[in-house]
Amino acid sequence: MARPALLAVAALLALAPLVLPPFFLQLLTEIAIAGLFATAFNLLMGFGGMVSFGHAAYFALGAYASALLVKKAGLSMIAALAVAPVLAGVGALVFGIFIVRLTATYFAMLSLAFGQIVFTVIFKWKSLTGGDDGLLGLWPPDWLKSPAAYYYFTVAVVGVAILALHRIVDSPFGSALKAVRENPRRARYIGIDVRRHQLLAFVISGAFSGLAGGLFAFYNGSVFPDFAFFTKSFEPLVVALLGGVGSFFGPLAGAFGFKLLEWAISRQWPVYWPLVLGSVVIAVVVLLPRGFVGLAEVRAWARSARRP
Amino acid sequence: MHAIANLFPWITNGSLIMIQVMSGLAVGMFLFLVSVGMSLIFGVTRIVNLAHGSFYMVGAYLMVTLVGILPERPWAFWLALCVAPLGVALLGGVIEMTLLRRIYHRDPLMQLILTFGLILVIGTLVLLLWGPDNKSVQRPESLAGSVRLFGQFFPSYYVLVLVLAPLVAVSMWLVFYRTRWGMLIRAATVDREMLGALGVNVAALYTQVFVFGSWLAGLAGALAAPTVAVALGMDSDVLTNAFVVVVIGGLGSFAGSFISAIMVGLLQSFGILIFPAISIVLLFALMAVVLIVRPWGLLGRPEDH
Amino acid sequence: MGAIGSPALILKTVGLRKRFGGVRAVNGVDLAVPASDVRAIIGPNGAGKTTLFNLMSGALSHDSGRIYFEGKEISGVPPDVLCRRGLARTFQITSIFRRLTVIENVQTACLTHHRRQYNLFRSARRLYRDEATALLERVGLGDQADRPSGVMSHGDQRRLELAIALAGRPRLLLLDEPTAGMAPRERHELMRLVAGIAGDTGLTVVFTEHDMDVVFAVARRITVLHQGAVLAEGAPAEVRANPDVQRVYLGQSPEVK
Repeated sequence: MARPALLAVAALLALAPLVLPPFFLQLLTEIAIAGLFATAFNLLMGFGGMVSFGHAAYFALGAYASALLVKKAGLSMIAALAVAPVLAGVGALVFGIFIVRLTATYFAMLSLAFGQIVFTVIFKWKSLTGGDDGLLGLWPPDWLKSPAAYYYFTVAVVGVAILALHRIVDSPFGSALKAVRENPRRARYIGIDVRRHQLLAFVISGAFSGLAGGLFAFYNGSVFPDFAFFTKSFEPLVVALLGGVGSFFGPLAGAFGFKLLEWAISRQWPVYWPLVLGSVVIAVVVLLPRGFVGLAEVRAWARSARRP
Repeated sequence: MHAIANLFPWITNGSLIMIQVMSGLAVGMFLFLVSVGMSLIFGVTRIVNLAHGSFYMVGAYLMVTLVGILPERPWAFWLALCVAPLGVALLGGVIEMTLLRRIYHRDPLMQLILTFGLILVIGTLVLLLWGPDNKSVQRPESLAGSVRLFGQFFPSYYVLVLVLAPLVAVSMWLVFYRTRWGMLIRAATVDREMLGALGVNVAALYTQVFVFGSWLAGLAGALAAPTVAVALGMDSDVLTNAFVVVVIGGLGSFAGSFISAIMVGLLQSFGILIFPAISIVLLFALMAVVLIVRPWGLLGRPEDH
Repeated sequence: MGAIGSPALILKTVGLRKRFGGVRAVNGVDLAVPASDVRAIIGPNGAGKTTLFNLMSGALSHDSGRIYFEGKEISGVPPDVLCRRGLARTFQITSIFRRLTVIENVQTACLTHHRRQYNLFRSARRLYRDEATALLERVGLGDQADRPSGVMSHGDQRRLELAIALAGRPRLLLLDEPTAGMAPRERHELMRLVAGIAGDTGLTVVFTEHDMDVVFAVARRITVLHQGAVLAEGAPAEVRANPDVQRVYLGQSPEVK
């Protein structure tokens, strides 16, 4: 994305609270969080070639970690947001060790299963997580409580996180990751430990997803088990596909469109939102002959991820 | 020793253990019916039907409706049990012919995304048609009580499950190994292209397999309806368990599904006794061990994993 | 010649065996490759050449026998570790990063050679570009640096794979059918290039080949495999005159594939 475009977007974002009512600021806040989640997800999908169907697990781990750190350990929101991604990353490490060795189909299935396992643990461990009732009363400190203030805060944090992810994608680590995606065998033969690399990408993706979860926890004021449910896992996948997995900023654009659509529909007819989402996705898969933008990169993995 | 006996008071009670084993087997049988359908569909079409749990759920809900509209007679339950899976089979057939047929040649990823979308669509349709409240189905009179087994009480309904499911399994085995259609199925799991080259109508075979797999899921759901709360989360619960069973047993393996379904059923049954939520952790641990030792499942094929 | 583990031998195999089901693909191969050798491994189809390569490069594990690289045993050592130790390889079917540009292919290999693949902070765009450019020029691809590698001709892709392998500064380079699919003149060009690089840098090259003209033009020593074992070994003239070799190759055209 060109410098002038970035600056223009930054300027627009900065000026938004002066012109837009709180309603829209909240929408923008949600877009920013969804954009971070989808970009973190796309590190794994578009650049690493691994499609996770259970990424909400790390979003939820980040959200619950933030909530518990504030409510039970008495940390400040800022401190909680610094620690939560680490905990989400640890979760990604634990799951990742088992699933990065698998090919597309098994990886998808097991990431979905692990996501549901996280959901079930959160749901059942009532004493710690409040189970179905969730954890409530999770508010940012007074100076960040207004929609405009939390909006600025979120956009700032998301901005820094996106810049960090961009730097990671552009780094030698990112180059090696792309090589692994392109041709895992060749990557091995130039000295890359493929599994370790994929695992690291998985952990980084999980950590940044956890940050998104944490930001959402304080935006929402509460956390619930369905943060880990597979329908939440669908979101970054659809967002990334809509925006284009081949480009770094694609998912951010996708988040914008996705959240607008979601707000439009689930405000009026909340029951119908999953139906619309599912139908749209099915229609796009069936009707678009070449699939979504930039999917070619991911196909290389689905076909070639045999043991090298 | 005393410490263990205090923690697990049932461990010294032989008949209690046997009852738990029987319950575990019954649970395993439900899982087997769902998993084998998913495994079979994958073996032939190479598509993992993520909406398989949704088919199970539809089977259960259809059972609710059928039992509700049929008169209260002894045969009503059994008729419903026959018809409900057929409804799901029909749903599966429609989905296969209108949607899946168009994507067989596409990336596995797109196929997964499509079936994922189906979960959302079917889930919402179930909500719209049946409403958000939990439903239930009464067990038939003849199976409402318990029998004495190993000196303990064992629900009669589970006896039905323990008889019916293996019967289905044996019938399936006979079909696969003694009929021409079954031979075609087995051949398709090994080499689809060759089958087409030999003049077999592979497209029709795919539809038949998908319909059969859906029927199995619907049967599992209909059979399960009197034992669980028929509710909207059924699809994801059973899906997770089915994944675990299929991954441990190996995608595409009939015997693998059977063995691992029993293992998972027993694990869940005993897990609950130790600590309610521990069955999930045990499941995770078992799956982890299998994946490390044999990433393609106990009886799966290495080239699939 | 040297004792087992002697550093003068960069590669040594002793009694190497590998079977697949009932087929003994490699059946007791004793190979000794001194440093700076340019060794051709020839033999009819099914003689076990590719299996031998897979065993030597860490792609397959052998059933029995030993493999020594620079005096150290390398059974069970995975390919990425072997690469870092100085053993590189190219494949029968060209294996490159098709959607990356030519120079990105080599840059990536350079940065893993310098162990930078875990660096999250620098920008990789310019990293090792000079080194990569030099390598590309050495293989004759200097003018194609920014092309997507997947659109290049087959021969150029082979050269790119060579550059990728060389980026790791290997001391031993295994080339599996490096000239497959090339026209005769291209084959000679490529192998002369390889021999030239080997001569300049002291690199040891072991390659398989079916075109005898190329073999006799470039190889310093030849090992003939037959049914998984070494039939003959020696300087090109010796091997050419060997009656066993003539018998095995009798009736077979030079271009077996």
